[in-house]
Amino acid sequence: MQERLASSFDPFVLPYTIGLVFILTYLFIALIRVVKALPNDDKFKLLKHIFSLKIFKSGWEIFMECLLHRKIWKKNWTLGYMHTAFAFGWFLLIIWGHLEVNIFAPHRLNLPWYPIFFRYFMMETETTLQGSFFFFMMDLTLLYVLSGLVLAIYKRFRRKAFGMKRTTKLRWNDQVAMYALWAIFPLRFLAESFYSEISGGSFLTAGVGSIFHWFYNFTENEIYIRPIWWAYSISLGVFFIMLPWSRYTHILSEPLFIIMRNAGIREEHRNSGYGKVEIYSCSRCGICLDPCQLVSVASLRDSAAINYTRHLRLWKSAKAHQAASTCLMCNRCTKACPVGVDTAALKLNTKHELVNLHTEKQYDYLNTSVKDISTPLNALTLSGAEATDVDVIYFAGCMTHLTPATKLAMTKILEASGERFNFIDAEGSICCGRPVLLAGARKSADELIKKNTELFNQIHAKTLVTSCPICYKFFKENYALNMRVLHHSQYIQELLKIGKIKINPTTAKIVFHDPCELGRNSGVYDEPREVLKSVGQLQSTAYDGDESLCCGHSIAAEALPYRKRRVMSDDVVEKLTTNNPDILATACPACKKAFSETNKIEVKDLAEIVAENLV
Amino acid sequence: MINFGYKRNESATLDLDVDNSELYKKLLKEEPSAATCISCGTCASTCSTGQFTDFNLRKIMLLCKRGDTQSLEPIINRCMLCGKCQFACPKGLNTRHIVLILNKHLHAGKIS
Amino acid sequence: MKSIAIIGAGIAGIEAASRLSKQGHKVYLIEKNPEIGGHVAQWDRLFPSQEEAEIVLNDLIKNLNNRAEVLFNSEVQHCGKKDRQFEIILTGNKNLLVDVILVTTGFDTFRAQRKEEYGYGIYENVITSTDLEQMFKKHNVVCKNGNPPKRLAFVHCVGSRDEKVGNRHCSKVCCATAVKQACEIKELYPDCEVFNLYMDLRMFDRHFEDMYHEAQSKYYVNFIRGRLSEAGENKDHQVVLKTEDTLAGKPLKLTVDLLVLMTGMEACDTQKTLNTKLGLRSDTDGFLSTKDVFTQNNFSNTDGVFFAGTCTGPKTIPETLADARAAASLVNAYLMS
Repeated sequence: MQERLASSFDPFVLPYTIGLVFILTYLFIALIRVVKALPNDDKFKLLKHIFSLKIFKSGWEIFMECLLHRKIWKKNWTLGYMHTAFAFGWFLLIIWGHLEVNIFAPHRLNLPWYPIFFRYFMMETETTLQGSFFFFMMDLTLLYVLSGLVLAIYKRFRRKAFGMKRTTKLRWNDQVAMYALWAIFPLRFLAESFYSEISGGSFLTAGVGSIFHWFYNFTENEIYIRPIWWAYSISLGVFFIMLPWSRYTHILSEPLFIIMRNAGIREEHRNSGYGKVEIYSCSRCGICLDPCQLVSVASLRDSAAINYTRHLRLWKSAKAHQAASTCLMCNRCTKACPVGVDTAALKLNTKHELVNLHTEKQYDYLNTSVKDISTPLNALTLSGAEATDVDVIYFAGCMTHLTPATKLAMTKILEASGERFNFIDAEGSICCGRPVLLAGARKSADELIKKNTELFNQIHAKTLVTSCPICYKFFKENYALNMRVLHHSQYIQELLKIGKIKINPTTAKIVFHDPCELGRNSGVYDEPREVLKSVGQLQSTAYDGDESLCCGHSIAAEALPYRKRRVMSDDVVEKLTTNNPDILATACPACKKAFSETNKIEVKDLAEIVAENLV
Repeated sequence: MINFGYKRNESATLDLDVDNSELYKKLLKEEPSAATCISCGTCASTCSTGQFTDFNLRKIMLLCKRGDTQSLEPIINRCMLCGKCQFACPKGLNTRHIVLILNKHLHAGKIS
Repeated sequence: MKSIAIIGAGIAGIEAASRLSKQGHKVYLIEKNPEIGGHVAQWDRLFPSQEEAEIVLNDLIKNLNNRAEVLFNSEVQHCGKKDRQFEIILTGNKNLLVDVILVTTGFDTFRAQRKEEYGYGIYENVITSTDLEQMFKKHNVVCKNGNPPKRLAFVHCVGSRDEKVGNRHCSKVCCATAVKQACEIKELYPDCEVFNLYMDLRMFDRHFEDMYHEAQSKYYVNFIRGRLSEAGENKDHQVVLKTEDTLAGKPLKLTVDLLVLMTGMEACDTQKTLNTKLGLRSDTDGFLSTKDVFTQNNFSNTDGVFFAGTCTGPKTIPETLADARAAASLVNAYLMS
């Protein structure tokens, strides 16, 4: 190998170099801004993580996710192959290029364009074949990337072949970046093929190059050859310059996002530092579109996670807020997201920003005076009779009062079990606080948490049982209670297991719908199923576990019209009843109301089924 | 001094000749379902808050519609946003959204 | 001789059958139940005159005078156009070939279980207006424990004007029925306290307002403008009601011995299955959509298929009968042309 040209520079390298300088400067400034926006303890967390052994774990994760796209492979291997071909293939090309420079022209390492346009500046001599290994590897990798490109183009037109019903709609900036990206590799391939006679090449470039020469024996100075190098450089430059303004920003932000996430940084108020990185880490791959029922069933494409993050990137805060307040927070998108962007948390921040921006006082129900008395509600305590020691506190939850069959079933089960219990909200109660939190008013939620904790802890019970998965999630995760928290499905399962209640099995065919807040958002999947298996014939569906659907009546989506909710619940009932079950069972008052409104099948809470069949 | 002339007492009357519909119009724009309320009172009846306090969503919405927005300001934030009324409402109104919007506009610009 | 199949032997079907058979046509009256008379047969007395339903029904049946062929326990299995006629296959493989189909399938009563928060089927002292009529018929209006109610409440609009159960429409007859039943209760038990929980009191027809006037002036029935949000049960199995007195502007609690749910009218299931077979269309409320709301409300979009009665929306008994007569004369004109 030897340098072909005396000069190490040619004007065509300029577009690439300008692009590179731009993107590196951008990256540097963005990094500083992000780190600056972090609260001090998060900065400390980040530093601690970087200088600990855990950084290797992050490095491994970056390798597996950003380059190999492991999660996409798991979902769909064609899609995985396509993403890996681009990311890992390109990464390898860069590595080979730098190795070549390192070995054959180490004195040129300080020139950023040298590894990229190596073939232009260097040539193989007749006597040596030192570069043949790299030539081969280069060609192989290039072929790999090009195969990914073919798939990508195919996917644009025939996305169904990739198991995707929907894919991202591209704006002009995304399109410019995408076409630039698509152009890079074929142009490189052409440029290197044309030069293979001069600079050498392997099976791909040399092979195709000799075919070109067979057609027409051109020389190096022919007018249409050098423009290819220009075009290659321009496509690189355009891609780099468009990078921050397109969906490809994630190439830069995702590694940082992984590091920050592994450092334990979370944002709970606004999307400034970590949140921003998270938003820009969305690769707009479109994988979240199909799982989102707002998109697939209710035709509200603007509310999809992918479009929410785009609104934020484009500073369209009103649209972002609209998307956040129609979101059901069912988390089907976050489960599917290959990057792990927690859009539900981001949306909560968006709502929180808006509530804080406009409202001096948030929701201070507790400081309101009780009717006709001047005592504020906050000062109320439980009476002596209510506060006696019991085994179990039963908290039905606000919504459960609208499904009285559930609370009656629970009272019957509790009585049958012989446990001493206190139905604490039989006459109504203070809300658990999750609904107000889901609307973005964290401070108000904190006040309700404080008051409820005080009331619950006044009773020295061992267990708090609730019938509402929304309350359950909140009691479990946001309360510090000196008793354990169980959803009634877990509690019934426990009673059955220790033999405190017994049931007569029936032959009823039952389908179970996992409520989002209980299943996907709290991880309780097995207990309700065990209960139902012991009382009837539990049918499995395509929507069990993490695949479970949202009933559409989530209270998180405050701006979602009822008509849309209804379309969604009708759809879920249809999907769950394909095997003609006798009963559609669920474990959440909101889901129950949603499904019984459709009037298609008998809908029961699992507690009812158990109570009906107690021995 | 009370004027005992043959004239109505201004403050005791809902004066629909004066246009006070600004807030209601904003509400309708952001949550169109608010227009379909039939004042049946189910929300006020089922309300977790209303059992102990004077919070009454039906009244709040009606007063907003009639343009009597001053009286709403001190009470709109007494809601816990629990959402029970939304499930009970026969017309499918997004009651939580209505409360959020009214609270937002009634307290707009008053950042603590 | 031309033939007509009338689907549904409620009062609309009976009235149309007697008119058409009198005009010399062959009439098949198809009824899925073992008896004719439909919903009216389950009723005790009728508003506004407190006439006994049985007398009205017997008059209608007397008019029919056995001229029509009544096919009991029969449901339409298959139905299709054959040349200019319709071929109908009924349960039991009975075949009919008719020139005209008159749909008089009526309505279904709203299943009160669907409003779980009202506790029908959960609390023992919650009944529907239909259940109450049965009690009136048996002269046995009592609570579950056998005692006469000392306090009783009617809830209007159960399953009507309720988007959550898919019924935006007003069922038209429940307000008048509730006032009628309230008066009857007071007649039976003068000391019983009676409450009517209404959203809007729709006393739209002739003599209705008199009935309302009587309920107030003679029987002192308590009218409360508020919709029930949820019912509970206390230890004595009384029903505890939660509502808002929207006129007083305050939440209201009320404990009663017996709760009567005024279940409304819904499009009937039989009619929904006929839709696909005959190419009929339903409006968003589920009831059949007529060719024109004003001038052609007995015509369907399919030539030779006519409508009468509550299959095209809630109607009172006089309205239903008038509609049936109108349909009969239109069918006759169609057959003569």
